Amino acid sequence: MSNEAEGMADLHWMFDMLHHIDVGLVVLDSKYRVKLWNNFMENHSGVSSSIAKEQSLLALYPELDTGWLHQKLDNVFGLKTPIFISWEQRPHFFPFKSYRPITGIANRMYQNVAIRPISSPDGSIKNICLVVYDVTDIATNKMALSAANQKLRRLSQALSK
Amino acid sequence: MSTRVLICDDSKIARKQLARILPTDWDVEVDFAEDGQEALDMLSSSVFDILFLDLNMPVKDGYETLEALQSFEQSPAVIVVSGDVQPKAIQRVKEMGAIAFHKKPASAEELRSLLISLRLFSVGDDQQNKVVVEQPTAAEQFTLNECLQEISNIAMGRAASVLAEMLNVFVKLPVPTVNILEVSELQMALDYSVKNDSCSAVSQGYVGSGIAFETLLIFSDSSFPDMAKLLGVTDTITRELETELLMDVSSVLVGPFMAAIGKQLNIDFSHSHPLLLGQHVKIADLINEKKATWKRTLAVEIVYEVENYQISCDLIMLFTEDSVPTLENLLSFLVEEDE
Repeated sequence: MSNEAEGMADLHWMFDMLHHIDVGLVVLDSKYRVKLWNNFMENHSGVSSSIAKEQSLLALYPELDTGWLHQKLDNVFGLKTPIFISWEQRPHFFPFKSYRPITGIANRMYQNVAIRPISSPDGSIKNICLVVYDVTDIATNKMALSAANQKLRRLSQALSK
Repeated sequence: MSTRVLICDDSKIARKQLARILPTDWDVEVDFAEDGQEALDMLSSSVFDILFLDLNMPVKDGYETLEALQSFEQSPAVIVVSGDVQPKAIQRVKEMGAIAFHKKPASAEELRSLLISLRLFSVGDDQQNKVVVEQPTAAEQFTLNECLQEISNIAMGRAASVLAEMLNVFVKLPVPTVNILEVSELQMALDYSVKNDSCSAVSQGYVGSGIAFETLLIFSDSSFPDMAKLLGVTDTITRELETELLMDVSSVLVGPFMAAIGKQLNIDFSHSHPLLLGQHVKIADLINEKKATWKRTLAVEIVYEVENYQISCDLIMLFTEDSVPTLENLLSFLVEEDE
């Protein structure tokens, strides 16, 4: 195989991996237009990549609190540093349904989101990437644990009286 | 007559590094001071032409030194060399009489062109004379603490600059402290820094090239009202809003700090998503002595304070014990490369 064909094959499996990894990947340009919308995003949102592409993320999800999101995205562009959003501050960044609709406790997917700057070869930041993690199990476990603790505290208070 | 140069920095590595990168064809006599007070004492007893001054130092910091120099009849040309690259820090030192500012660590070429542009040095000054600086010998060892303190110092300045840009404030920088701590000692150290206030903390794990550590960012809960004010939040402070403020400030403080550490060590660290360790808890509850499986940790602690606001947070890097030999090895390369 020639080097070029080998390079193409490498690119192919890399792209295949990015598309099918079980993590949401979205790349945006400085006008918040979608440049990449991977398989995870397609399947959970029901919006296909061909429709999402070139649209503004804010047009795709008008319900995303725009002022809030603008500030986050602009900070990543301006400060050139990743910004993290935890499920504890915003449980459902994207309005996705839970992965396990039958046996799972939660109806909606809890997400951690990392917004990272992507540097161009010249060092400038022209694109940013949103990485969306499904943390539904962690979130429901933690909430169940703290509810159980509260119940215990109430019980022990009642007993001591 | 040779030019008399005084290098004032609390870090031995920084003093040596700066002395090494002075133009080799410059006829100078170099002296060193470990803090602002020592520099002032030396300046009042003899005449120096140039003072290279660090900003974050114990006893008397760079600002206090600049202020004291204003009452001197004959004061040297002051070039501030600091890791604190906040625009307001640069502006402030220039207003206080410094003729130039240079970010740390400086390279020989950068320093050379700065000195030429300030007309303090010209090429062909006197090629015969060589710099009379005692070159560090191989026997001269820098301790792990000294190396770690200096790279943290530089990283801390970078992080403060990003935070200052986001909030449009001036962030006061301390001298980072480096210690090997036992579990109980760490609790005590944390207790001391946050006093009796309850606190909230975010933790993030880092690993790369055989070095593993955790960063802890601890906010005293009394910081929240002012932090909300600075970020332009007018809503009432709910638990979710506090988490939001915590995550934002932790992102901009820890991210650039780690990027600067990684760059200096030449490691592209993997890191976890930041985790909310606790909200409104007693600091002792953050680290549970009984549950801890580790015995000792190498800790780097930095206390950030925002000027004119009641905001203080503690950034602590905790290295695992088995990372220490690798770190020591890496840092020793770092020092050698400078020679």
